[in-house]
Amino acid sequence: MTALITLKGVNKYYGDYHALRDIDLTINAGEFFSLLGPSGCGKTTLLRVIAGLEDVSGGVVMIGGKDMAGVSANLRPTNMVFQSYAIFPHLSVAENVAFGLRKRSDLSKDDKSKMVEEALSMVGLSGYGKRASHALSGGQRQRVALARALILKPKVLLLDEPLSALDKKMREQMQVELIRLQRHVGITFILVTHDQEEALVMSDRIAVMFEGEIGQLADPETLYRRPNSRRVAEFIGKMNFLAAEVHDIGDQINVEVAGLGRVSVNAEQAPMALHKGAAVAGVRPETLAILFEGETTDRKLVDGVVDEVVYYGDMTYYDVRVAGIDQPLNIAMKNLIGRPVLDVGTQTKVVWDERSLVLLA
Amino acid sequence: MSLRIYAIAYLIFLYAPIVLLPIFAFNDATIIAFPLSGFTTEWFDALMTNTSLHTAVKNSLFIAVMTAILSTLLGICAARAGAMYRFPVKAGIMGFIMLPLVLPEIIVAVSLLVVVVQIFDLGLSNWTIIAAHVLICTPFCIAILNGAFQNLDPSMEEAAMDLGESRFSAFRLVTLPLVMPGIISSMLIAFTISLDEFIIAFFLSGTSPTMPVYIWGLMRFPASLPIVMALGTILVALSIILLTIAELLRRRGMARAGVKDKGGFL
Repeated sequence: MTALITLKGVNKYYGDYHALRDIDLTINAGEFFSLLGPSGCGKTTLLRVIAGLEDVSGGVVMIGGKDMAGVSANLRPTNMVFQSYAIFPHLSVAENVAFGLRKRSDLSKDDKSKMVEEALSMVGLSGYGKRASHALSGGQRQRVALARALILKPKVLLLDEPLSALDKKMREQMQVELIRLQRHVGITFILVTHDQEEALVMSDRIAVMFEGEIGQLADPETLYRRPNSRRVAEFIGKMNFLAAEVHDIGDQINVEVAGLGRVSVNAEQAPMALHKGAAVAGVRPETLAILFEGETTDRKLVDGVVDEVVYYGDMTYYDVRVAGIDQPLNIAMKNLIGRPVLDVGTQTKVVWDERSLVLLA
Repeated sequence: MSLRIYAIAYLIFLYAPIVLLPIFAFNDATIIAFPLSGFTTEWFDALMTNTSLHTAVKNSLFIAVMTAILSTLLGICAARAGAMYRFPVKAGIMGFIMLPLVLPEIIVAVSLLVVVVQIFDLGLSNWTIIAAHVLICTPFCIAILNGAFQNLDPSMEEAAMDLGESRFSAFRLVTLPLVMPGIISSMLIAFTISLDEFIIAFFLSGTSPTMPVYIWGLMRFPASLPIVMALGTILVALSIILLTIAELLRRRGMARAGVKDKGGFL
């Protein structure tokens, strides 16, 4: 894999506000990369820095091996899909898509209209060229914005929360289409999103950002299974946090977990540096289970009482009180055949496994 | 029901005096009084042959056109800055620019006269009036253009730049067409305000008066009162046409940008 974008020590200030703090980041050619984080974490600023729409206060931005200092947005090999799509309302769909070709005097009018038609068919809008752009639906505007940005065959396509304005069904459909489109064109996509599920579904790698810094940079599975800090664990999916006491650190880590007892876990299960003493053990709701009547397991069990039941149709989320744990354990159960939905107050057994624990400082 | 009567009475009170203008402009008598004595276009003919009136109208048209252009240019700068950028004490600055809207014109007129004649020691001319009219028209232009610029998505220009255009051509290709209706209606409003402005023009005009100042001069001769009526009729008709065009353009601009009409300047 070759590095396409390299950021070194990038800082950005708005007055006194430190929006980006010493960002070091390498994004590879052909990668679907996501910048994920809560609002105000600097992810959009970082995207705009790459696009050249914001100047850096310090540091270097390299694209394709070239330093981008002093290179304005119109001269960078990047194109952007804006959150609002920024479709020009006074131009037709075809004129919008062709906008980036204005400067290309080497192309004939026929070439241009052929390219426009290709770009439109790539996003599933064949034959929409003559339509007025302000009469389009949200999903269609999004596709026009994509076609308009891709017609220039940029090295990098920047997507600023492109799906946030769409409803849930449309969003899920567009996620799949974006992945397919990215594989088809082979262009590096950089997606900004605050939706962790969207990032997990679509990305090759994800950078989770907090307060202008990258908290963790990893592939979706690592990010989900081995978050390297409590804030990443809290931001990505749901996680139960249990008080823990580390006794011994080696190839195996010997740890006392509140409510579950003393266990030995693999060193890989501690993605951040640990010290002996107080720590936190994280466990995802779907890696715990309730032992229903008639079911058996050879895994470990702990007694609990159902405290809360949230029924989702395909899943039921239980909060189960376990002696020795402050917060009830959140447990996600698939509603398989024969499984009842338990009532609040039911005495139950919780199935757990130390292999699903993550130790955090 | 009583509200409806009130509304009708209010409108009559507001517009009845204006209706009198065309009535007496075509009345065949020098005295403005009922009963009417007959139909004539004599007063309009008199308008056509009055050369000093023609000079006054030319002055006024020149001043109004220049005022419209200059105050709209200033308005574009202010409205664009206000809509697209954040800067320190923005609210204070924007408020300060809008201040001439509520300043009594007589105060503006007198102080400008002092500035022009006493401080800068310049002669009075059409240009001194233009400067003063720009001062009072700019807030109106900003008010109209604000609407046009605020409806504009700031990422629109950025998108154009991202697609290879320079900052200026992004403005020309994207922003300008979208705010053009606002610009035209701003120019029409400024033109209208400048055309019938009296107090400032009265203080600041040189040897050659503007149309309102000339009309005021005519008023001293009762015999010429019907001529004033005829001129007034033409002015009212022109004003209505211009303001209607301005409003239509504003609405078309809103429709073009695909936004809901939230009630405009008029």
